[in-house]
Amino acid sequence: MLLQATGLTKRYGDFSALTDVSFSIRPGEILGLIGPNGSGKTTLFECLAGVLPADGGTLRHDDRVVPPGARSSILFYMPDAIAPWPSQTVRWALDFTAGFFGGTVPESGPDIVPQLDLVPLLDAPIGTLSKGQRKRVLLAIGLLTPQPVLLADEPFDGLDLRQTRDVARALRSYAAAGRTLFLSIHQISDAARICDRFVLLSAGRVCGEGTPAELSSLAAARGTPPAADLEEVFLALT
Amino acid sequence: MRSRRSAFVWLLDKERRELAASKSWWVMLLAMGPLVGVSFISAVRTYAEASGLNGTSAGVGEAFSPLVGVWAPTFSACELAAAFLLPFVGIRLVSGDRQSGALKLELQHPMPAFVRLGAKAMVLLSAWIVALLAPLIAVVLWRSYGGAIYLPELATVAAGHLLNAGLTVALAASTAAITEHPSTAAILTLTVTVGTWIVNFIAAVQGGVWERVAGYTPTAMVGEFQHGLVRLDVVSIAAALIASGLVVAAIWLRLGMPVRRRAYESIALGALTAATLFACTFITPSWDFSENRMNSFARADEEALEQIHAPLSIEAHLAPEDPRRVDLERRALSKLRRVMPQAQVRYVSATSIGIFEQTSQHYGEIWYDLGGKRTMNRATTAEGVLEAIYDLAGVKPPVETDEIFRGHPLAVAPKGAAAVFYGIWPALVVAGAFFVRRRRA
Repeated sequence: MLLQATGLTKRYGDFSALTDVSFSIRPGEILGLIGPNGSGKTTLFECLAGVLPADGGTLRHDDRVVPPGARSSILFYMPDAIAPWPSQTVRWALDFTAGFFGGTVPESGPDIVPQLDLVPLLDAPIGTLSKGQRKRVLLAIGLLTPQPVLLADEPFDGLDLRQTRDVARALRSYAAAGRTLFLSIHQISDAARICDRFVLLSAGRVCGEGTPAELSSLAAARGTPPAADLEEVFLALT
Repeated sequence: MRSRRSAFVWLLDKERRELAASKSWWVMLLAMGPLVGVSFISAVRTYAEASGLNGTSAGVGEAFSPLVGVWAPTFSACELAAAFLLPFVGIRLVSGDRQSGALKLELQHPMPAFVRLGAKAMVLLSAWIVALLAPLIAVVLWRSYGGAIYLPELATVAAGHLLNAGLTVALAASTAAITEHPSTAAILTLTVTVGTWIVNFIAAVQGGVWERVAGYTPTAMVGEFQHGLVRLDVVSIAAALIASGLVVAAIWLRLGMPVRRRAYESIALGALTAATLFACTFITPSWDFSENRMNSFARADEEALEQIHAPLSIEAHLAPEDPRRVDLERRALSKLRRVMPQAQVRYVSATSIGIFEQTSQHYGEIWYDLGGKRTMNRATTAEGVLEAIYDLAGVKPPVETDEIFRGHPLAVAPKGAAAVFYGIWPALVVAGAFFVRRRRA
């Protein structure tokens, strides 16, 4: 086990955004965080990354508690719907990411650029990109960082079918190379296509964790017919 | 290939690029030319007319100092820019990261928040130094007209405006970090600026402790630098406020910290800053860098006063808005405090303007107490004050040995200045902005 989150809690006044959230992340896996809009996926990622203070709970790595201020050594969080450094070009943003976060820049330029079809966008300011283009740039930024775990919030949001497949392929290749990915996805069909295991989140609570088969068994125990697809399993468990 | 630059250098480069991309900085640069130009041209014209241009009586310009006649008004444009333009540049640089989401990415680097903010502060101060090129051009033009330049006093004026810019940057950074939205930060920054003006106004009316506090507002600080005076207490207080503002900004940019903890840290910092500021008010050294020593008594008088060790207290029965009190402060007491920092000065009045107190028995009297011996006079000039003190101390007034400052009258029109500040400067700024944008596109 690479990381173990235990009892994560976050409240906004009387509203509980996360309640006693616990799950684990295994090395080299692609873990999917599935949940409807407003279920607390982004809050969970931000609390894990330490950019939002949690009210309770711990994250352990190698059996040691990792305080929020030290989590940047293990994981990197790529938020959804941001347009960082809007006046700067994509080329500069990628260079900056590799330089500032201590990553490495291959002599011939990062491989991720052709993989995510970013070559035509390299000299465009980030603020001028479409939603889908920006999403691919954000993913490239996330993949260039050196941390062993990448948390990506809605990595397929705004992408068309072809781009979704290309991005999924790129993410798989990084996972195959040893990078652990934790992806927040609200489209269950997208999640089913790429993830090895899932954490189901509903109303700030974990409703299930495991591989599709494990979740299906869990759902079956609650009366869902066997052989149900992930969508039905999700509906049964949440 | 691993990047050879350190993370801080990358951050510095990023802040520089963000500054160059911000319209607010280009607008500030654009405005600096005409702002400085109008002040410089008007100051040089007035200086020239007083020096004999266009038929003014010869000799009027005798004892004219470029410090007060040209540099104070020319650099006052910087004060305007620091109050109304620089805050927006600072807020844009600090808030921009939060608005775009870049802050959430950058915060995931383990770099300490204060170092992170230090990069922004360094770039903002560099931006201000670039803006100071406008008054620097005024200096070059003045020199080309044959005007005299006394470098120490000119450097003092520039340093005062740099310190003032530091205060603005720290204030803008802290408000931008505390508030969610840049417009709220702008309102808060301008509120603080206007607040210091209100303190100055209250001080002028009420006197007392307000007068003492008002002596440390940015306006008062810049005013002293513009007269060539550097007071260590004022510099220390400004430095403490700058550091405190930047630390507050660093505290509030740590989004991962609970708000309550950030609030407690800010309150503790506020208390520490208040204690530091109070301690700084007891610092007494000061230096007069003006060529004509306008902030000092004659050297012989200073030496004579330094020999008087008995405790001196002065009680002046003058209202805060009485012009005689202003004269007494400017011509005598501010100079006296520099030589005798332990001297106690107390103002007594029942009203703020004094006009209705004129018939009061003691109004207008200035009482001097030196080691228990008392005397009174009504003079508000340096000579009158010194005479009273020498009289009480039983010291014979020294013979003045200082060379009399003859001034630097200059009767020339500000030739070419309008073209430089209203034409060439704006054209260069606009061209620079286009060039930078084209390079990025």
